[in-house]
Amino acid sequence: MARIGEAQAPVAARDALARGRLRASLVPDLLVEARRIVNTVIAGWHGRRKRGIGEDFWQFRPYVEGEAIANIDWRRSARDDHIYVRDREWEAAHTVWLWADPSPSMLYKSAGARVSKQSRALVLTLAMAELLSRSGERIAWPGLVDPFINRNGAERIASHLTQAGTLPAKPDFSGIRRFSDVILVSDFLDPSGETLEWLDGLARRGARAHLVEVADPAEETFPYAGRTEFTDPETGDKLIAGRAEILADEYRNLYIARREAVAAWAKRLGWSYTVNHTDRLASEALVGLHLALSSEDSHLGRVGA
Amino acid sequence: MSWLPLSFGAPMLLWGLIALPVIWWLLRFTPPKPQTEVFPPLRILARVLKSDDTPNRSPWWLTLLRLVMAALVIFALAEPVWNPRERIPVGGNLLALVMDNGWASAPDWDERVATASRLINDAEKKEMPIILAFTAEKANQQIGPYSAAEARNRLNAVRPRPVPADRQGVFLAVANTIGDSAGVTLALLTDGLAAKDDAKAFAPLLERRLANIVWAAPGRLDMVGLTAADNGLDRFSVTAVRAPSGASPRFMTAGAFDEKGRRIGDAAITFRPGDTSASGEIVVPFELRNDFASIALDGENQAAGVRVLDGTAKRRRVGLLSQAPTDDTRQLLSPLYYIRRALEPSADIIEPKSPDLLEAIPQLLEQKPAVIVMGDVGTIPEATREPLIKWMQNGGTLIRFASTRLLTAGNDEELLPVKLRLGERQLGGALSWTEPQKVTEFPSNGPFAKLAPPQDVTVTRQILAEPTPSLAERTWATLADGTPLVTADRRGKGIVVLFHITPSATWSNLPISGSFVEMLRAIVQLSRNQGAAGTTTEGVPAASLPPYRMIAADGQIEPPTGDAKPLQTGKGPLAVTIENPPGLYGTEDGVFAHNLLTADATLAPISRPTTSVPVIAESYAADESRDMKGPLLFGALALLILDGLIVLWLAGLWRRNARRITAAAIALILLPALLLPVSPASANDAKPDDQQAIEATMVTRLAYVLTGNSSIDSVSRAGMTGLTRFLREKTALEPGEPTGVNVENDDLAFYPLIYWPVDANVPAPSQAAIARIDEYMKNGGTILFDTRDQYATSLETSTSPATLRLREILGNLNVPPLEPVPSDHVLTKSFYILNDFPGRFAGSPLWVEASLEASNPDNRPVRTGDGVTPIMITANDFAGAWAVDGSGSPLLPTVPSDPMQRELAFRSGVNIMMYMLTGNYKSDQVHVPDLLQRLGQ
Repeated sequence: MARIGEAQAPVAARDALARGRLRASLVPDLLVEARRIVNTVIAGWHGRRKRGIGEDFWQFRPYVEGEAIANIDWRRSARDDHIYVRDREWEAAHTVWLWADPSPSMLYKSAGARVSKQSRALVLTLAMAELLSRSGERIAWPGLVDPFINRNGAERIASHLTQAGTLPAKPDFSGIRRFSDVILVSDFLDPSGETLEWLDGLARRGARAHLVEVADPAEETFPYAGRTEFTDPETGDKLIAGRAEILADEYRNLYIARREAVAAWAKRLGWSYTVNHTDRLASEALVGLHLALSSEDSHLGRVGA
Repeated sequence: MSWLPLSFGAPMLLWGLIALPVIWWLLRFTPPKPQTEVFPPLRILARVLKSDDTPNRSPWWLTLLRLVMAALVIFALAEPVWNPRERIPVGGNLLALVMDNGWASAPDWDERVATASRLINDAEKKEMPIILAFTAEKANQQIGPYSAAEARNRLNAVRPRPVPADRQGVFLAVANTIGDSAGVTLALLTDGLAAKDDAKAFAPLLERRLANIVWAAPGRLDMVGLTAADNGLDRFSVTAVRAPSGASPRFMTAGAFDEKGRRIGDAAITFRPGDTSASGEIVVPFELRNDFASIALDGENQAAGVRVLDGTAKRRRVGLLSQAPTDDTRQLLSPLYYIRRALEPSADIIEPKSPDLLEAIPQLLEQKPAVIVMGDVGTIPEATREPLIKWMQNGGTLIRFASTRLLTAGNDEELLPVKLRLGERQLGGALSWTEPQKVTEFPSNGPFAKLAPPQDVTVTRQILAEPTPSLAERTWATLADGTPLVTADRRGKGIVVLFHITPSATWSNLPISGSFVEMLRAIVQLSRNQGAAGTTTEGVPAASLPPYRMIAADGQIEPPTGDAKPLQTGKGPLAVTIENPPGLYGTEDGVFAHNLLTADATLAPISRPTTSVPVIAESYAADESRDMKGPLLFGALALLILDGLIVLWLAGLWRRNARRITAAAIALILLPALLLPVSPASANDAKPDDQQAIEATMVTRLAYVLTGNSSIDSVSRAGMTGLTRFLREKTALEPGEPTGVNVENDDLAFYPLIYWPVDANVPAPSQAAIARIDEYMKNGGTILFDTRDQYATSLETSTSPATLRLREILGNLNVPPLEPVPSDHVLTKSFYILNDFPGRFAGSPLWVEASLEASNPDNRPVRTGDGVTPIMITANDFAGAWAVDGSGSPLLPTVPSDPMQRELAFRSGVNIMMYMLTGNYKSDQVHVPDLLQRLGQ
């Protein structure tokens, strides 16, 4: 009898060294993968569309007294009697915090899935890192990498991840300030109360978060039947179901209810909540994430407003 | 467990049932092994599972099923028996056990032995000595008293016998052994069939002081025995009897088997309700019926169900005698012609070598015929009368026919059945008022009684018998006016039969009617082969016949066992005893059938003797006890399989892998089919010479014999090549490449002509090769022998070595008379007109088979004659003249050197080939001008 799901890492996965090696071996591939996905999205990435510090021309506006004279565009002012100032489009870099859940439960991959959840989460995270660094944003990884601007931001984050030891199960939000965007990729399998509790800390800091739930199809559809012993990969707890199939409906209700609770809470805060199944393409989530990032009511937009 | 017809062989094992609660407890807490799965959202699942009470133990019904399984195994191990036998009470201090082991006890012998074993067991418990006697064994058998172990050994050693039970002698022996001891339990295990002197047999036993009698008889007498098997005129009839207790209709099949045990006929025998005898018929041709060696009832595995047949059912030898010389041209007038035609299909015809009766009759008698038919014999020489009469006394059948010779011979008391009146009677005709007479109904006393009288037969001449009081009973057939047509009388064991007409169609048309055949066959049926063992020579009383093939107790026919003694025939009815069990006696040449049941045998049930002693009736048929061990174990196994399926179901296998499991099940079902041996590819029947044979037959080829001498062979090959080229150029024949043949082992049949250069230095062919050549020549092939020594012979007066070798070869062959090719032989005109046939040498004649002299040699351009000469001999060295090299120029010079001679040599070869291939066609072709002229051209 073939099992439906398996943990991609060996049981000693919780061992720090093993995890590090695993991640190190995983990252270069993921990086390439992330870049490939970015290429499909880059065309839809727009500027800030706000006036501010930048290089590109944005608009002419009448000179207001008190402004620096150096700002006056003399060529334009010479055409008529008014004095104009050349505004540039705001191109100031924004800080986007990226985080992927490193917990052992992310190592799960079922028979119907293409990759493990962790793999998908890292791909998404590094893809975002690639996207954001290409567009000149500051990216950071809470507790691992401080905000920086670099064209090859994804490589840097990957190299940091490779060299990092055991990462804490929950990210350290202490460095995050207002108006930052935070991308959290996790399975959010903890009870919704616990999840909301630690996200609430983030919300209090005024950051705007984009939650990406990576879900394995087996977790959602519960295709188990018969007498089955379930093991929690994080805690090692075991549960034996006499006839697993009769649990399916109820389990599904709870599972969806958990997701909806978190999603509703996120929506109330103006956060985005994206669900990506590991049997679907990663780029689907990436596009959704990109739309959320570039939406009108994002913090980036509000900065200049 | 008296309330159930159930008993246990090992009841102690039932204590194992106590273990069931323990098993229950164990099973209850041993849940099936779960499928392990990693599942990250376990905490969500845990909330669900809280409401669902996790079954960590097996469901109660699964536990129950397993408990039932364990209980079944325990019950099975306790060897339960359903419907156990009751114990037979055996009392007293001596058990006298008398068993019938005759033929009727064979089918259920094991049950009888089981019954006897139980009695012996009971006696053993009470420490009683046992007298054990068997009624079909010899009367002087050892009967004990035995201990139980000895009795058991004896019981196991005795087998049923294919003979009837002889109760009287055995009972008497048992009674004597019992003596006056008191308290005897007499157990009679009968086969249920009454014997002749049963009452007398029981008397001595019943006089003893018996405590009780155990009387066992089979519940039903369903044995069927064959009492008769008659080879009738057109069918073989089989009669069977059964015991009267069988009131229901019964359908049986009897099979007829030949000597090798092959089934060659079937008869359906149907007992109607209440009938104790029934008969069936096997309607197969006479020839097949004669092959019947035994008849056996299907499903009757006892000796009475089998009947062996001896010579009485076989072909008779019929000797034919006639004084008239055989005339091939007027066969229909031959006195024996119609007799021979009538009897040939059904009898072996033997005829004397000499027509002289003095020699002919002893010659016939030597072959011991069943029947001698005298066609037109009148006077029988005095010297041969005596042996003839003696042969007849011993069972010979003499059939005589009227003839003018018989009339002149006068009366003969011994060799004629009736006294004849002098002179024949003419019916019808120009000078007669009477009409030709028809044949009436056959009298019922004769063998023709079953035949229908022929409607179309008339008799115009006959000889008459003197009317005597015994004439009517001697008459087998009469004419419409009451005069006898066929009369017969017994002479000792034999019969003399007289047809009052001639055997040819001159006096009556009876001989050319179908009735004649049937009448002759009916008479022959009556006869017995005198050549059969036992009556081998006249005058010698019946000898003792050694056992040849015995019928075993189970109805099989097998070689004789040591118990069978030779059968003394000729002493009245022969009893079937232990010393003369049923079967065939005699030797391979002739056998005597000794069968179990006589024609009037009946199967009557035995009657229980009336006595004051308490009788306990027992039946063999009560053996309905059934061993329950197997079914119980099977049930446990079925439950085990069910349990396995349930466990798989509980583990969710069905749902998860339904398709794979279905595929696996189908594969499991189909696996045996796949494992069946694939039918082997058809065998390669090619023989090593096939390729050569195919090549040899694709085109016509010239062939020459490989002598082994390379120079001769190369010349032969070159010569054949040269002739082949010449034939291609000049004629329509286009032979293939010539081929050399080895007469020792090559197949010669493919070549119309084989050229054989004879050389003295080459070893002569072996006898086998000579035989092959002979066969080749007989089947139409021709060999051209060439001694190539035309001038060697002419120089010396003696024959040359090659000629001597040729003579040696031909000495073993069937060589027809030879002649030099005559001037009008077909060979001279088959293609070219030739006068002689030169080769490298000229002058030697070409010898061919001498053709029949033409009736008018003057006018005929060609000799008549069919066929082609199988042999040609020359000394002219044809091959030397024909031999050409690769460029077509001749290899060897002709002697004398003359180009025309070589041309003529080639023409000779062409003529020979044409003659070979067309035969006498040319001899007909030469008539074409004449024919055309006659047609008016």
